[in-house]
Amino acid sequence: MARTPGRTNASGEAASTVGRTTRIRGRVTGEGDLLIEGNVEGDITVRGDLTIAEGGRATSTVEASAVTLRGELDGDVRASGAIRIEAGARVRGDMQGESVSLEEGAEFVGRLDAPFDLPAELGGAAETRGRRR
Amino acid sequence: MASTVIGAGITIEGEVTSDEDVVVQGTLRGKLVAKDAVTVEHGGVVEADITSGPVSVAGSVTGNISSNDRVDLQNGAKVVGNVKATRITIADGAQFKGNVDMDV
Repeated sequence: MARTPGRTNASGEAASTVGRTTRIRGRVTGEGDLLIEGNVEGDITVRGDLTIAEGGRATSTVEASAVTLRGELDGDVRASGAIRIEAGARVRGDMQGESVSLEEGAEFVGRLDAPFDLPAELGGAAETRGRRR
Repeated sequence: MASTVIGAGITIEGEVTSDEDVVVQGTLRGKLVAKDAVTVEHGGVVEADITSGPVSVAGSVTGNISSNDRVDLQNGAKVVGNVKATRITIADGAQFKGNVDMDV
């Protein structure tokens, strides 16, 4: 989990945590991982991973590295890494990430936008870019 | 056990309310209301009024502090604002500018 030393503490928790009874109304920006167990109303822009835990809730436009959603999110996500919408999550918004996964048991309303290569027989763009797998 | 931690690289602009402990290692601008303890660690910056339980400051606070318990300004703390609390300590090495109201 800890990709960069110093971003997580000794017990492996996220560098920043919004606790269960905590409510933030405003903007959250900066560097480091963020774990939301409580409530955030406002845009989140972090250079680090964002996790919305079960019971956590955010009404936010999110920009982060990897994003893991187990709680509720109302807002668009732009991730430089993977977006995982896990079981129990309730998400409404457009997801744009390196990859997007949607687990069984998650509720999702929105658009998924992840880059992928079309097979050659469907346009062949993959071939011209030389990224065919 | 801290339930809410604003990490060192993080800035929050807005209002934070909590029933639990709040630890500030990063920056908070706006307003902070906590039912439990507030700790502003060394390097932490709070530009906000704080209303909470016990407050411990080793970082910087610009704003009024109102506690229903004690306020401890530790060595290295820099506080500009009024402090209202039942008990107050100002350690050697703490900087403080403001009024103290101990509600006597």
